Order: sequence, then structure tokens, then C-alpha cells
Amino acid sequence: MAGLSDSPGDGSNLDRNSKVVVDGVSKVYESERQRVEALSDVNFSVSDGEFVCLVGPSGCGKTTLFRTIAGLEVPTGGEIRLDGEPVTGPGTDRGMVFQEYGLFPWRTVRDNVAFGLEEQGVKEPERSRRVGEMLDLVGLGEFADAYPKELSGGMKQRVGIARALAVDPEILLADEPFGSVDAQTRDMLHEELLRIWAETGKTVLFVTHDVEEAVKLSDRVVVMAADPGRVREVVTVDIDRPRDRTDPAFGEYVDRVRSLIGE
Amino acid sequence: MSVETGTESETGATTDPGSTHESPGDSSIGSLSDLDTAGLAYGAAGTGIFLAVWQAAAMAVGRTYLLPSPVEVATAFVVELTAPTTFTVPFAEVSIPATRLVANLLQSLLHYLPGLAVGSVLGISLGVAMGWSGRLDDALTPVTRFLRPIPPLAWIVFAIVWIGIGHGGAAFIVGIGAFWINFYNAYAGVEGVSTHLREVAETLGVDDDLTMIRKVILPAATPSIATGVRTSIGQCWMIVVAAELFGAPGVGFQIINAAQNLATDVSVAYMAVISLVFLVSDGAFRRVERRALAWRD
Ligand SMILES: Nc1ncnc2c1ncn2[C@@H]1O[C@H](COP(=O)(O)OP(=O)(O)O)[C@@H](O)[C@H]1O
Ligand SMILES: [Mg+2]
Repeated sequence: MAGLSDSPGDGSNLDRNSKVVVDGVSKVYESERQRVEALSDVNFSVSDGEFVCLVGPSGCGKTTLFRTIAGLEVPTGGEIRLDGEPVTGPGTDRGMVFQEYGLFPWRTVRDNVAFGLEEQGVKEPERSRRVGEMLDLVGLGEFADAYPKELSGGMKQRVGIARALAVDPEILLADEPFGSVDAQTRDMLHEELLRIWAETGKTVLFVTHDVEEAVKLSDRVVVMAADPGRVREVVTVDIDRPRDRTDPAFGEYVDRVRSLIGE
Repeated sequence: MSVETGTESETGATTDPGSTHESPGDSSIGSLSDLDTAGLAYGAAGTGIFLAVWQAAAMAVGRTYLLPSPVEVATAFVVELTAPTTFTVPFAEVSIPATRLVANLLQSLLHYLPGLAVGSVLGISLGVAMGWSGRLDDALTPVTRFLRPIPPLAWIVFAIVWIGIGHGGAAFIVGIGAFWINFYNAYAGVEGVSTHLREVAETLGVDDDLTMIRKVILPAATPSIATGVRTSIGQCWMIVVAAELFGAPGVGFQIINAAQNLATDVSVAYMAVISLVFLVSDGAFRRVERRALAWRD
């Protein structure tokens, strides 16, 4: 296997023709009492169809960056570009998956998945067909009529993924989506996510604080550091899939990323 | 849902029994059957003791107009329930046969229902509008804060000078009561909708206020709004009685009227009518609520 290919976390990570370009993004939260530099000149890019994980210790600005790419936060400096277009607000070109699921409790699984399609004006029977397809993709066909309260955490997140993908976004963004499910379910969801990624060819940007999860899933790992939130290094994971945690190369990558984080 | 809606554990009992997957709500079905055995026995005993003490006290007092016994009240109830009279349908100028109790109840409903309906709709509308719009909230909060403590009955002044004491005036007072109850519940419900759900909706393509209100805010606030409606269904009966003290016809008027004739047993019978009507309407509303809001945790 070739050596671990690293690149420093400066402008050299920027390929301006990429799907997602995070270009010099800074975010400062200011209140009367304090000033938090959540992100300081963050630069990296994600290519079309690439699976990139964002790892770093708690408080290094991962969620802030996720929300900025989503268009839910406005950066105090720099900009995010999708296919060359600056992000100015939320949009269905980005499918969002949240750690706390964010399912609409009054809607059944089916109607949660249909939400974005309704907004896009997709009419029946096309809408039902598309919802069915998404539920099959995440293996929740039998639970179409259940309410979120009746589902386990893992199932809720499958609904979250199906709902995000239903509107056929260019990019799938996820913020610690499997943070609150047990380890066994998480492994299963990893396999599923990789299968969905392979089937749909989406660009995926996946936030996690779990280094193994990042090495397991991604083509490249963007390692972040805190105070101020910044990119420490971008590590390319050069292992064929499916990846095996017991593979020595896997362990090397995990150790490498851990030492970068300072764990 | 951050707004506590005051629903009891029994709401979980409506979980679809056909669902095969784990469903935490199912556990409360057990508590219902527990209630059947021990709970009902205690309830029957408590009721029996209450009636016995009342009967004994009434016999000790010995004068119906001071304290009618349960038996006398029940008798008066049956008399009112069966005594024939006619009820004149408003606007239609036709009289239909009815019994005294039914006629009085219909009279009360003639101001209770319109007052409840109009007051609730207006209260919910303003509550949602102010809960949604910070500007409107800022602009109107001083006014609503100031007007809220005024008891609905105090507005009888305007009922008298504008409309007169009749169905219209009583409906006006009832409407004011319904308005405030629904206003506050709707307002709290909308304020309590999590920002997270609104953001999720934005990322799924909701980009105008009306769609956000219709598809996220209102459904999320529904449990709180429903609590408001249910509370006003009860409270408005209190207001009906109060409004009828001023002379509007109906059950409340009969309570006073009978008391002035020292027919206290008839008064108490009409008090029981109000209680029964409340229990029936509240129970019916809870059933609907449970069905419609089966999605709640
Ligand atoms: N809305 C906010 N207001 C003020 N400070 C914030 C806000 N959101 C995040 N922060 C701060 O920004 C930093 C980065 O937070 P976050 O992006 O949540 O990190 P992570 O997701 O990596 O744990 C933290 O110090 C956090 O306290
Ligand atoms: Mg976070």
C-alpha cells in the first residue's frame, strides 16, 4: 500500500471546480460577554461523487460548518460554493440528515419522506412511487404507516436519510447521524449508507467525532482542530472497500487521524 | 414537543393494535384494566358515601329549600326532563314540542355554541399570528396583557349597551372567555415549536411563511391548541351560567329562577344538567383529540 497521503489544511486543498468548495470560511459568534471563533479560514473541497468525512474534537466547529453549508448560518468571512454557485440559504440541492433526526412527529414515515416532494410540487402517483422507492432503499417499506414515536433511533435515522434523498439532492450532508444509535446498529447503518452512496452516486459530506467511523466510510478525512475551529489536515484513505477494521492499514489510518486530533 | 399539553398516560392506549413493531404507548393499555377492578370499586364506594352523607345531612336539616336531598334532586330532574313545553326556534318563528329541561338546554346552547365557536376561532387566529410574528407580538402584547385580567363577565356592560341581554349578549360574553383561553394556548403552542423543525422544513424546500405555518407551525402547535379548545368547552359553561344570571334564558337562568322561588331541588337539578353536559362534551372532545393526535409521544 502506498504511504498515507496527507495534505496540509491550507488553500492547497481547494480545487475550484469541485462540487463543494469551502473557501476561506470563518464564523465568529459574538455576544456581549464573549467572542467565539467557531471557524477560522476553513478551506477544502469535495469532488462530485466523493465521500468526505469531517472529524474533530467536540467544539471544533463541525456543526457550525455543517449548518453553514446547509445555508442555515451565514459565514462571517469567505463563502461556500456548490457547483460554482455561492450558498445564500437552505435549498433542496443539499439533503440534510440531522443527529436528532428532525422528523415531523405528526407525519407518518411515508408522509415524512413525502414532505420535500410535496414542496417540489411532485404530483401523485409519481410522489408515492418515489416515496416507495426511498423506503425500499432504506429498508423501511413495512413501516410506511408508523409514526416516528413508534420507531427506534436507527429506524428514525433511516427515515431521515430517505427523506433527505427523496428530493434527489446533489449532495448528502449529515451531522453525526449515527451518534445516538448503538454500535451494532451503527455498523449496519454504515453498510447501508455505503450501499446507498454506491447506488445513487451522491456526493456525501459526513460529520462525526468517531475516527473509526470516518476511516471506515470516507475517501478523504478532513481533520479539524478547535480554538479556533480550523482544518488541521486532510487525509486520503487509500483502502479498498469493503473495509475491515482488523486490517492493519485500517488501524494505521485510525492512529494517524487520532494523533492529528491529539487523542 | 416542548409544550406540555396535560394529556394523561391513557392517550397511549389508542396505538394501532395491528402494528407489529415495538410501541412504547402500548404499556398503558394495562393500566386501563387495572383501573377497571380496584379503581371502579373505590369510585363506587366514594360516590356511595358522598350520597349517603348528603342524604343524611338533608334529612337532618329537614327543609328542601335549605338543602334538597339527592332523592329530591333526582325527582326534580326527572320532572324537568319530562314536563312538556314548547321551544321557539329563533329566526324561524316556529315552535317545536320539547320538555322543560331540553328547552332550557337548547336556550343555553343558542349562546354557548356561537360564543364558543367565534371566540375560539378568533382567539386561535390571533394567538397563532402573535406567536408567529415577533413584530405583531411586540405591538399587541401591552394591549393583551392589559385586557387579559378583565373577567369576561365584566364586559356585560357592552353586551347591555350594544346588543342587549339575550342570546346575542350572552354569546358575546362567552366568546370573550373562549377568546382568551384559546389565544393563550395557541400562542404558547406556536412559540413552543422547535426551531429545529422549522430549519428541517427550510432544508426541504419550505421558503414562505404561509407554507411554514400551514405545514409545520400549525400541526406542531395542534396539541396545545386542542388543550385550549377543550379547556374553553368547560370554562364557557361557567360563563354561560354567569351571563344568564343577568337574564338571558337557559339553564343558568333556571338555577336562579328556581332558587328565587325556593325550589332549590330544581336549582340543583339544573346544576347537575350543566355537569352532565360538560362531562359528555369533554369526553367526546377527548376521544376525538386522542384519535386525531395519536402521533403524540
Ligand atoms: N449559536 C451559537 N452561539 C454561540 N456560540 C456557538 C453557537 N453555536 C456554536 N457555538 C460555539 O462554536 C464552537 C463550535 O461549536 P460546534 O460547531 O457545535 O462544534 P462541534 O459540532 O464540532 O462540536 C463551540 O465553541 C460552540 O460553543
Ligand atoms: Mg456538533
